[in-house]
Amino acid sequence: MAQLKAVVLAAGEGIRLRPLTLYKPKVMIKVANRPILEYVVRALAQNKIKDIVMVVGYRRERIMTYFEDGQKFGVNIEYEVQDKQLGTAHALSLAEGKTGERFLVMPGDNIADAAMIRMLLASDTPNSIAVTESAQPSKYGVVLLKGKKVTKIVEKPESPMGNLISTGLFFLSDKVFEHVRRCAIAGHHDITAVFQDMMASGEELSALKTVAKWSDVVYPWDLLDLNARVLSEGGESTAGTIEKGVHLKGSVQVGEGSVIRSGTYIEGPVRIGRGCDIGPNVCIFPSTCIGDNVTIQSSTEIRESLLMNDVSIGPGCLLSHSVIGDGTRVGAHFVAGADKAQVILERELHEVPSLGVIMGEDTTIGSNVTVDPGIFIGSSCKIASLKNIHRNIPDNSSVV
Amino acid sequence: MCGIVGYIGEKEALPILIESLKRLEYRGYDSAGVSVIDKELMNTKAAGRIIELEKRLTKMPGRLGIAHTRWATHGKPSDDNAHPFLDCKKEMALVHNGIIENYHALREKLESEGHKFTSETDTETLVHLIESNYRGDLKAAVIESLKQVKGSFALAVVHVNEPDKIVVARDESPLVVGLGQGENFVASDVPALLKHTRRVIYLQNKDLAVVTRTGIEVENFSGEPVQREISTVNWSAEDTEKGGYPHFMLKEIYEQPKAIMESFIGRIPGLELEIGGMEKEDFDSIKIVACGTSFHAGLVGKYALEQLTGLPVTVEAASEYRYSGHARDTPLIILISQSGESADTLQAAREARKRGSRTLAISNVVGSSITREVDAVLYTRAGPEIGVAATKTFTTQLIVLYLLGAAMGQARGTMLPHQKAELIDGLRRLPRDVQTVLDNRGAIKLAAEWMSSARDAYFIGRNINYPTALEGALKMKEISYIHAEGLPAGELKHGPNALLSKETPVIAIAVRDHTYDKMISNMGEVSARSAPVLAIGYENDRELRKSSDLSLYVPAVQPLLSPIPVIITLQLLAYHVAAARGCEIDKPRNLAKSVTVE
Repeated sequence: MAQLKAVVLAAGEGIRLRPLTLYKPKVMIKVANRPILEYVVRALAQNKIKDIVMVVGYRRERIMTYFEDGQKFGVNIEYEVQDKQLGTAHALSLAEGKTGERFLVMPGDNIADAAMIRMLLASDTPNSIAVTESAQPSKYGVVLLKGKKVTKIVEKPESPMGNLISTGLFFLSDKVFEHVRRCAIAGHHDITAVFQDMMASGEELSALKTVAKWSDVVYPWDLLDLNARVLSEGGESTAGTIEKGVHLKGSVQVGEGSVIRSGTYIEGPVRIGRGCDIGPNVCIFPSTCIGDNVTIQSSTEIRESLLMNDVSIGPGCLLSHSVIGDGTRVGAHFVAGADKAQVILERELHEVPSLGVIMGEDTTIGSNVTVDPGIFIGSSCKIASLKNIHRNIPDNSSVV
Repeated sequence: MCGIVGYIGEKEALPILIESLKRLEYRGYDSAGVSVIDKELMNTKAAGRIIELEKRLTKMPGRLGIAHTRWATHGKPSDDNAHPFLDCKKEMALVHNGIIENYHALREKLESEGHKFTSETDTETLVHLIESNYRGDLKAAVIESLKQVKGSFALAVVHVNEPDKIVVARDESPLVVGLGQGENFVASDVPALLKHTRRVIYLQNKDLAVVTRTGIEVENFSGEPVQREISTVNWSAEDTEKGGYPHFMLKEIYEQPKAIMESFIGRIPGLELEIGGMEKEDFDSIKIVACGTSFHAGLVGKYALEQLTGLPVTVEAASEYRYSGHARDTPLIILISQSGESADTLQAAREARKRGSRTLAISNVVGSSITREVDAVLYTRAGPEIGVAATKTFTTQLIVLYLLGAAMGQARGTMLPHQKAELIDGLRRLPRDVQTVLDNRGAIKLAAEWMSSARDAYFIGRNINYPTALEGALKMKEISYIHAEGLPAGELKHGPNALLSKETPVIAIAVRDHTYDKMISNMGEVSARSAPVLAIGYENDRELRKSSDLSLYVPAVQPLLSPIPVIITLQLLAYHVAAARGCEIDKPRNLAKSVTVE
């Protein structure tokens, strides 16, 4: 029997994660120092699924440069390009002819557990959907069941219908492509329409309820929770140089070529990437993740935050419950404390229990800048010294 | 350059040989051939691409074989001149990389003894020579023959009467043996082996080896056994795949944020670099010797090292170095070679040592020939580069030169603490700054369309961006076949101005350093002669826009580091011009990746 293949959908932009997705697709945002998509690829590899058709689109070079042909991750990746992000069914259609008779479909932008894939494969029933319970079903495709049989799928229902949602993980047969084509002609490019069409023509669709972990990242602050969860899985390893007088507590990982300078206190779980220069006298508290080539100068305190690659943080700063995008540079005495925050996104009010700042890529901040909790600062912004930021700053802005 | 592969084991040899040949395609070639032994000797060759060879192949069973891609030096590309070559009895096949200097004399002698030649090549003399010395022992015949040969070579030879071995030898041309389980491999370069094994032995000059299914025995040319250690290669074969990109060159351009970070990781804190104690030695002058793109990196290195160390630095093309004839040279010679196999640079390394200089190599390939010819090595860590036009290896060579300058500058006390802090900051920002250049590809592509129909183009710059202009022009001519010249901007008025017209775009590098005003006036002079100007400068530079027809912007890094974002812009410009002109980007005509002949 031919090897089972997987189609991974990684073409989307991830608009709701702006400003973090201005220069890269959502799937390439790092959680615990790995792109979200890497968790998907690794989960497939763990299930011995080696052949992946990856549908890419928005800023695809970031994906291709990272994964190349997949060998580093123990898989073979073939890329298909979706130029316009019309919908998941359209993305899937690009894999037609490359999948084999039965295949898996996975979204590239949420962290699927290897156990979930195992369960779907063990069922050995094509036309299966992995479903899970959600506290916020209205953000997803809600699935209604009769026994194991799916009776209806509604994408983002306006009135509450149930709390079982589709995880976007499917086990399908290549007959699905006929339905994809039919729906496309009718102008429907989303997968929900395709499933409805299948059921309407008498095909059976079954649901498998998963108890495995399933984490979607919808809003930027979800990254912090997910990061904390992945970091809690632990692991300790220290490469690089740890100077005398550094205190490491709990699960702390330090990458190759990094220097942790004297007087620094790190309480795990904390992960630090390669080639960083941290300290002296920096305090890092759980659950913090620091990317590669990051500089953190003396007497800065960081709590439960995500710092991406090439970030530079000046001396005497405070960062809590914050996300700092690639290459952003923060001057001395920057303060982004966390508090309960009300964030308006897509005309919807979100109460976030604890949030600092969400900052995009390649932004430069002067010294003595203070930011209110829950503020978003865009990518490629310049903020002068001595500013108090009370409102969101869009991409490419200057605050003088 | 020519590529050699060989296989002996339990599998069918042919598919392995063809696959391995394809992994040497980057070396450049114009014909290919393969020989397999299975009771009898079968031989097929073809001018052109490997695909032409594959079209001619019929089934060739057999678990022993050799194959070759040829890059013409003696004799034009043709079926006859392709390797492998057979002896008169068609019992022996041989492949060769290098040049046999005394082949005329050998050939006359062999022809007078009755040997029939079928080609114009120097290589064919080798197989007849070995035939004339063959008394039932292939190894002995090869040893005897090599005593009569002058020149450079890596060769592999098989004989029907001895189907349990491949005999290989090298002098001055690269050759590696790959070790498998119940099978062994031979190749000119590591990428050919990676699919099968990572355990390799780099043969050294005047090594001869007998490779069998189960082992390898290495001797020198006098027949005395020598020990060669087994190295493990970190690259994966798969690293050499294109991973979704249409060309290796584009893939490699996009890999630069990562490659640059790899090149400085663990080398930045304190900016101290260990180079076998040399970093602390008190040299009074430095010379850099290299070819092609590496030569341009050396020229940038001159400006960087002079600024950071205060020492005078000269740069010479490796192919000319030997003619400069100083009995005593500068106390430190830096040799730059991506592959570590460039024959001219290797020769220069030997010459430099003879002249009593300390030698330091900058290379991308661990264990390559040059690394054994010098006192110390700094690796660029760019990962394998397949596109013939060098991209990420150039920028990582620059990083290594900056790091070297900083380390020497600190040891000499010529680099002040604030300069050090500024350089550390600048280097650490580079991966992101380079990403910004890549994200600007839309504008670069438009500029490429703007100039894609040009026949000639001039690249001008001053100071540290004069070599950037040279390298930008080299990229353009290598892959787009536009005649491109790099010039110091101040030289325009001394001649080249006569060539300017509205048909000749001028690409001017004008970053905000102390030469900026002069560059702006040079651009004015060019415009006055109606030549269109494409300016490359720092972001938010409004004046630049006024002085040019079209402008491209890079992040405002410190001037010392500006060649990096500028050259990446010019690499993308050359790539998109070549793509617009429909050129074969990864394998430009008449060029080879690693030039192992002088």
